Amino acid sequence: MNQYQVPTAEKKLIGSHILVAILALALGSFFGPLQAFEHAGWDFYVYLKPLFKSYYQGLTVHGVLNALVWTTFFIMGFLTFNVVFGLKRPLKNMLLAKVGFWMMVVGVVAAAIPILANEATVLFTFYPPLKANWAFYVGLTLVVVGSWVEGWGMFMTYTAWRKENKDERTPFIAFASLVTALLWQICTLGVAVEILTMLLPWSLGLIDGVDPLLARTYFWFTGHPLVYFWLLPAYISWYAMLPKQAGGGKMFSDSLARLSFWMFLVLSTPIGFHHQYVDPGIPPIWKFLHSMLTFGVFFPSMMTAFTVVASLEYGARKNGGKGALAWIGKLNWNDPSVASQLLAGILFFFGGIGGLTNASYNVNLVLHNTAFIPGHFHLTVATAVTLSFIGISYWLVPYLTGRKLWQPKWATIQAWVWFVGMIIFSNSMHVLGLLGAPRRVPLNLAPYVPEEWNSRLFQVGLGGAILFISGTIYLVVMYMTVTNKQRVEKEVEVPIAESMQDPAATPAWLDRWAPWVYGSIALIVVMYGPMLFELIKNISLTSPGFRVW
Amino acid sequence: MSAQKIHVDSYERNWMIISFVLLVVFALAVSVAAFGLGIQVPAPEQRVDPRTVATDPNSPWSNPGLREVSAGVYDAYILARAVPNWEYLPKEITIPVGSKVTFYVTSPDVQHGFKIQDTNANFMVLPGQVSKLTITFSKAGTYNFICTEFCGSGHGVMYGAVIVK
Amino acid sequence: MANKKGNDEEFHPTGTVVVLVIFVITLIAIWATIYMILVGRGGTL
Repeated sequence: MNQYQVPTAEKKLIGSHILVAILALALGSFFGPLQAFEHAGWDFYVYLKPLFKSYYQGLTVHGVLNALVWTTFFIMGFLTFNVVFGLKRPLKNMLLAKVGFWMMVVGVVAAAIPILANEATVLFTFYPPLKANWAFYVGLTLVVVGSWVEGWGMFMTYTAWRKENKDERTPFIAFASLVTALLWQICTLGVAVEILTMLLPWSLGLIDGVDPLLARTYFWFTGHPLVYFWLLPAYISWYAMLPKQAGGGKMFSDSLARLSFWMFLVLSTPIGFHHQYVDPGIPPIWKFLHSMLTFGVFFPSMMTAFTVVASLEYGARKNGGKGALAWIGKLNWNDPSVASQLLAGILFFFGGIGGLTNASYNVNLVLHNTAFIPGHFHLTVATAVTLSFIGISYWLVPYLTGRKLWQPKWATIQAWVWFVGMIIFSNSMHVLGLLGAPRRVPLNLAPYVPEEWNSRLFQVGLGGAILFISGTIYLVVMYMTVTNKQRVEKEVEVPIAESMQDPAATPAWLDRWAPWVYGSIALIVVMYGPMLFELIKNISLTSPGFRVW
Repeated sequence: MSAQKIHVDSYERNWMIISFVLLVVFALAVSVAAFGLGIQVPAPEQRVDPRTVATDPNSPWSNPGLREVSAGVYDAYILARAVPNWEYLPKEITIPVGSKVTFYVTSPDVQHGFKIQDTNANFMVLPGQVSKLTITFSKAGTYNFICTEFCGSGHGVMYGAVIVK
Repeated sequence: MANKKGNDEEFHPTGTVVVLVIFVITLIAIWATIYMILVGRGGTL
């Protein structure tokens, strides 16, 4: 085997990202089941006092650590790996990457202190006028800016590579990672403006009030593409790595894969109003236009579904897979990395269905802020993304550390337990939402809960318990792996599925940045510009802060 | 030196066509519901000052409650508040079967939600803004309205009811 | 119609079609169910 050797310094940097990510997942996931247990009527918070004051403090820890910290750190590490390994060259500027990483770490610590002190129980959406301690906002800003700095490092590395390789197609994993990093740079402007122009000065006492509607609009400018920032790294693995791991499959269509990434870049930001369908103060016509573009961004996901499944089928058929569906059994289910990602992908089909339903304009009246929503995003970010990242870590951690994966059988079991637990949890949350149950409520204590919800509330707790077991197995496997005395004989092979077509057959316009970047900015200006102008023109900083937790 | 056109497998091409048609059908269906059946999302109503909206005597929310506009047609001014005790004012409204009620809801403090169970009324309530939707209650019963946005530690007990007799 | 020269052999993703047809049927069923709940609850204007 003769693969590009990632320099030790880069490996250390990537590994540090994965380490912080897994620590965040460990603590954050401890609180997840506690929320689920509250639904079933099992209150564990009584034992956690005085350390943790309330359900909502726990929910804030769970949301911030799992949805924001675990994802962002894992993603920045994985994207860095893809850029370096894909371009077969070290980072252009290691110092920049380190500065970015440490800014993110300091940011997490700065945000964690007020959260743990119950000074920032504002959940991961931190909607004002709920007012957290200023350190929370400073911390979030540092995480975002740190991730920008790391992104700049990736772009510099690409530019250097481009100078050295004028006519080559950008290797897919590097290309897709750079698009993801760019999407993040563009979309986080929303939350950066929200914090720097409103929340931070307000929490420091420099201004008296905020404009909650404008704050929500800034937040969701970032909030929806955030979903794609989570998802695209999983797509990279599904497109370009999983087919190889699952049985020598090849990427069914390199061109369409690239096209879908460009579509995500262009379409995933100017659709944020689909999180504000039922907000006052925004004309329905803008909400409707955003809903149409949201249907548009569903399209590349449909393309992804086809290309990924076909790439898997190609490998399975080559290995003797037969029948309409029986070939699925020929995939390499014994490899924990494969099993995790396949199971993540299966549940993502249902995540996609729920997402499309939420996004369908007035259909949102049935679902908005019901338990359907956390039911939905536990299939997307908490399974499609998280279980895929777990699957990636099953080869990436041995690759980075040179230590053998401890008990692959347990790793496979972990993936299946997650799958089962999530089906029970998520299904009951979806049903509860359709019955009218709100999100973000410890439902067992709510005075308006009808009898018919009870069996589902029990299932939420049961699902949470099973997920807790799965999370624990994962942490044990990871701990035993990084301390494993058994080392891998030779460097772990990085799974890269080659394209069925000659990469040179991919049209050059799919490797050109400017038109897509300008197109993306133009569409944002058209779809957000008029409404943002209107909201900023009429800004009323009249809402004082509240600490009601 | 290379092709300008993307090579697309015929199966995948058909899949893309099916996906496109499917999304167009969904878009048409929501348009029919919105523009044909009048199932709409909230529109801008008015801005208010959250610091005075509950106390200013000229503000309808200083005296929240039901106003009969004409026979069977009502306006309901509802204040959603976290301070001091996570509640809606008024907590209950009672109307006859067949009433058409337009809800005007706002908050003097933090963000709230307003969802009337088993109806299409489900929207955000923001300080500084008024949320408005109209619902016709054609069946008798008790329809709880509940808070659907995190508004502090009492979020889970914040609810009220529309009683249709 | 299709240019099959690009593929390194004749491979027709028939299994993929089956998987995705199941997906689309499920999608339509769930989406339509929730859409009918919406329509059944009536107008908001």
